[in-house]
Amino acid sequence: MFIENPLNSSELSFPILECFHIIGFAFSVGTIALVDFRLLGVGMRRETPLQLAKDTAYWTLGGLVLMVMSGLLLFSSDPDMYYLNWAFDLKMFFLVLAIIFNYTIHRKTVMSNAPGGGKLVACISLCLWAAVLFGGIFIGFLNPTLDINQI
Amino acid sequence: MLLKLALWIQATDFFTYLRGSGYVYPVILSLHMVGIAFFGGMILLTDMRLLGLAMRNRPVSDLVDQLRVPKRYGFLLTATCGVLLLCCKAEEYYYNAFFRAKITLLLLVVVHALLFRSRVYNRAAEFDTDRRVPAIAKTAALFSLLLWAGIACMGRGIGYIEPPFGIHAQLLGGFHL
Repeated sequence: MFIENPLNSSELSFPILECFHIIGFAFSVGTIALVDFRLLGVGMRRETPLQLAKDTAYWTLGGLVLMVMSGLLLFSSDPDMYYLNWAFDLKMFFLVLAIIFNYTIHRKTVMSNAPGGGKLVACISLCLWAAVLFGGIFIGFLNPTLDINQI
Repeated sequence: MLLKLALWIQATDFFTYLRGSGYVYPVILSLHMVGIAFFGGMILLTDMRLLGLAMRNRPVSDLVDQLRVPKRYGFLLTATCGVLLLCCKAEEYYYNAFFRAKITLLLLVVVHALLFRSRVYNRAAEFDTDRRVPAIAKTAALFSLLLWAGIACMGRGIGYIEPPFGIHAQLLGGFHL
């Protein structure tokens, strides 16, 4: 049984959702990157990484929620296409990895507050989030068609 | 004049190659996004701090002063990628209403800087001792938020307009896309 997705009844809904998606990741990835840059010794050096992480925690979470919610709605517009898109698979893999990493190893490193430590963790975190962004862009450059022979 | 320039730029070997490349073009676009994600958040946070919505435990000057240089590098990365993307499809962009809106907003960012830089951003340390951030600083932050969010949204809109592709290339002759 097919249910019409109301999102697909207007051609404006997709680009508007994309804008929320972008603002969502500017908040979430932006605040995480701020802490990472601090771990690398760049940026907000008058604060400790722990202070930065604490002060931005709600904005990180809020951004993540906005990003994931708008992302799910975007996905719902054409699930078949995403299902067949290998860039989407990679993006989801790195997204799950990046979120888990952020709330486990990354958090632990920041909490330990050791001076000079955590450079590797910061690099991994930045790379994981960059991989998510790359995956997101590449989704649009692959055009998988529903091939009945592949199912 | 501008259109001729656009046609010439996109017809150069370099941008013809970029446009046709399977992977290089999306990689540049991805780096454009990385710039937005890593450094756009710094703009948002600074503005939110001025508005009293985020990082309230930190002095205003800590954000304004310390993020100034990283933001510049971020802008450099994002703008460089943006210009490369623009030059690949300069003709298309010339006609694109969202692109024109985006450029207008970027020019307004310059106006914003002229208006508020000396009055707000260069005096951030003075706000640290104030109990409340003064109205002019909040105004600056609000406009900054609106401008940059608008620029991101207009940028996303660019991809949604189908251009009258190649019309002028044919008229002027010599340009084969």
